[in-house]
Amino acid sequence: MVNLTIDDKQVTAPKTATIYEAAKMNGVNIPILCHDKKLKPFGACRMCLVEVEQMKGRQIPACTTPVTEGMIIRTSTPDIVKARKMVLELLLLNHPLDCPVCDKAGDCDLQNLTYEYKVDTNRFVDEKFHHEIDYNNPLIERDMNRCVLCGKCARICDEIVSFGALTFIDRGIETKIGCEFEDGLNCEFCGSCISVCPVGSLLARPFKFKARFWSLTKQKSVCGYCGTGCNLTLGVKDNKVLTTLYDENQGFHKGQLCVRGRFGYQFINSDKRLTSPLVRRNGRLIEASWEEALEVVAARLKGGNSVAALGSSRLTNEELTLFKKLMLENVGSSNFDHSAGYAHSALTSGFARSFGTTASPASILDIQKTDLLFVIKTDSYETHPVIGFEINMAVKNRGIKLNIISDKRGKLSKLPGANTFVHKPGSEVSVLNAIAKSILDDKLAVGSVDSVQGYAELAEALKAYTPEAVSALCGLTAEDIKKIAREYASADKALILFPIGQGYVSHNQEMSCAVANLSILTGKLGKEGCGVLCMSEKNNSQGAVDMGFFPRADGMNAQQILDACKNGSVKTLFVAGENPIVSYPDKSKVTTALEAVEFLIVSELFMTETAAMADVVLPACSFAEKDGTFTSTDRRVQYVSPSIRKNSNCKTDFEIFSALISKLGGQTPVSSSLLFSEISSNTDGYAGMTHVSLRKESAFASVNVKPKLIVPKASAAVSSEPGKLAMVTGSALYHSGTLSQFGEGPMHVCPEAYVEMSRKDAANLKIHDKDIVTVSSPTGSLKLNVKVTARIPEGLVFVPYHFSAAPVNAIWDGAPVTMVSLTK
Amino acid sequence: MNPITPIINGLAITLKHLFMKPVTLQYPDERPKVAARFRGLHALNVSHNKAKCVACYLCPTVCPAKCITVEAGEDANHDKFASKYEIDMLRCIFCGYCVEACPVDAIRMTGEFELANYHREDFIYNKERLLEKK
Repeated sequence: MVNLTIDDKQVTAPKTATIYEAAKMNGVNIPILCHDKKLKPFGACRMCLVEVEQMKGRQIPACTTPVTEGMIIRTSTPDIVKARKMVLELLLLNHPLDCPVCDKAGDCDLQNLTYEYKVDTNRFVDEKFHHEIDYNNPLIERDMNRCVLCGKCARICDEIVSFGALTFIDRGIETKIGCEFEDGLNCEFCGSCISVCPVGSLLARPFKFKARFWSLTKQKSVCGYCGTGCNLTLGVKDNKVLTTLYDENQGFHKGQLCVRGRFGYQFINSDKRLTSPLVRRNGRLIEASWEEALEVVAARLKGGNSVAALGSSRLTNEELTLFKKLMLENVGSSNFDHSAGYAHSALTSGFARSFGTTASPASILDIQKTDLLFVIKTDSYETHPVIGFEINMAVKNRGIKLNIISDKRGKLSKLPGANTFVHKPGSEVSVLNAIAKSILDDKLAVGSVDSVQGYAELAEALKAYTPEAVSALCGLTAEDIKKIAREYASADKALILFPIGQGYVSHNQEMSCAVANLSILTGKLGKEGCGVLCMSEKNNSQGAVDMGFFPRADGMNAQQILDACKNGSVKTLFVAGENPIVSYPDKSKVTTALEAVEFLIVSELFMTETAAMADVVLPACSFAEKDGTFTSTDRRVQYVSPSIRKNSNCKTDFEIFSALISKLGGQTPVSSSLLFSEISSNTDGYAGMTHVSLRKESAFASVNVKPKLIVPKASAAVSSEPGKLAMVTGSALYHSGTLSQFGEGPMHVCPEAYVEMSRKDAANLKIHDKDIVTVSSPTGSLKLNVKVTARIPEGLVFVPYHFSAAPVNAIWDGAPVTMVSLTK
Repeated sequence: MNPITPIINGLAITLKHLFMKPVTLQYPDERPKVAARFRGLHALNVSHNKAKCVACYLCPTVCPAKCITVEAGEDANHDKFASKYEIDMLRCIFCGYCVEACPVDAIRMTGEFELANYHREDFIYNKERLLEKK
């Protein structure tokens, strides 16, 4: 800490702070346009000029000058104010005075400073700019006439998003922010540039002219898409969510969002939302009253074991607990599951065996504290973009090493120093086992490891996985495998990341055990910056696991439930918030099962394919209309309060389950907060949490690890067939589950499914980018657009799974790798 | 004082007024002359054949009676215009703040004061009714 004086006030600040940061920490506000606390200092705007006693005669930019001991700083002398006024005058010389039609007005740094410094005349005369305005982009409108060249957009796109879509082009007075070759934006559309723009140069087009900033109510919430658990500020007016707002102090990610978080909110107020319960009569779904619908449902739920339930990991912890209660205590069935029955197995079965707990022994915050990141699948960026930003920052700013094993290259492969080892699809477990074997062979394991339970069995089983043997079938060289092992084991701190989800079948219990083995063998567990982070797919996937919403020993899992629907042993199926017809593998199997089941109840936001088959459809509420808690992938429990009032004819799932419990003669909880106190006393790690405490600050549920070495079984290698390509599925960057189809933003940039293939295969098959091809597998065929990219290795095609219009499950039966043929 | 005097004085005043110009306005046969700065019904100013209003929302923001509803739209040239502009005359207090706040001189107050109507919904003036008549 250093001592200094700011405006005659004795203050202290850390040694690494700049004058600007030191002032801000001590409550002195220095005006600035080009600073964001996530970005490196830049010194572009010259608004933050201050006087320093020791550097008399000059005006010093506060944002780039580090503090030194004994500095005497004055932030608003008459000379400084005069200089700042001059800066504003010069900016306003070219900045159009179109505040009445600019959406930034009210939230504009330049406008606020102009008002604060009373710059109402200009001594200079110059022409305004006449740059062409980019109206064509559906998400980001660029008006470079308003730009003040602070460079924040270009810097955030480079430093954090690591895309580099925007940069300064041209020189001198003609300098402007633009894309390569002055082309349109074609980026990830995360909108980070919009969030930091101090003026109205970059604006969110979906929000254009919708409302003024000052008329919005700012509602804090938690994103309802992936498991990262990003915090959101929703801009609400007239009970409608109109936009998301930027708050640099929010969450671990400091307000940083991805495309779906920032632009995917439209589903909340969509006019496609269901607004009335529907009951099937004479083959048609007819509007009915809640009383009627619940009566029918309750009567059908009295079936004991012939009733089954499929939940969604987008429900709150309270709802999932209540749903489970309803099934176990009131219906008397233990047949309930979520996420297709396998997407949670890495936690519920894998980590449960290896770590003795169903949660990841690491947090997102560990990414910045480690020395080596070992990422399994480059898709980690696509499934959890904000965790991807953390990885970007770790690698670019802190020089943390990044090793990736994946079946394809990706965004993360482009980071400086990143090593991507591309293996054959479906051979993850073998590769991980070979790494473990190599660690043992090279004596890289920690000394005490042979006392860990299961060591002998593992060492014995790994004999089959020598790097040389595995290299033959996985496509990596033995040297690669040894290198990964060496680097992982020799790093002081190392963190493993891997995504799970319905699109990642191979990321199952076996793989999570294989991953856990690596961290146990090398002792990279239970320390800061070490461990394994299993990135769960949806906003409450971890919560669903914590609440125990998966089959116990006597219950059926999702796939068994579907089989049982087909053979008639399950007569009533209650689906809450899931759309299995699109998101579960093997569409024909799911469809037959849902057709065969006698009675299908669906609680949904939209008339999905599954809801259309139901006998009763109950209109439910989105995350913005209910209260409850979500548990993010690293077990951060966060409270959400309703941002808007719900439609009076919709009920939250909590209300639906409560009503059904009371109809079945059970005791309903008084409120969700009381139910949560029950949850916190029964759930491992949740002790002491209440809605009241979480409302103030989110809390981490502690994870207690009892390591055990488990022998992971590698699945048989997929034999290649001549003329066929190996298809893998997964998540596209712009989407999450099937919900993002109802968010307009994601659908603007990624409106339909596609098949991504390598240049070489495309050339061999004489297929070009944007062609439409028929992809056929043993289970069916599908017409898809072609994307030819450099990241896909030869012999592989990738098809994302989110889309109802071209569902990949028509050609995918749940195998990690499917052999397909492509024809024009 | 003689008790008759006040009565005489009173009658004198009455008599005087018989020969003066009458104060009473024979409304509606006679129309009042409205002062130039009278604050009556609003009018939306027109320029180049369209309303000058750019839907900046300053008038609904400043309005103390919250009687103005504006919705902005985007026209073919990507410019902002008021796709909806409504004033609820039952709530309006004719303070004139909307005129003062307007940055583009798009709204003014006319001398029109006959705002009585039979139905509540008739007091809601939409953009069509507010546009100045030429």
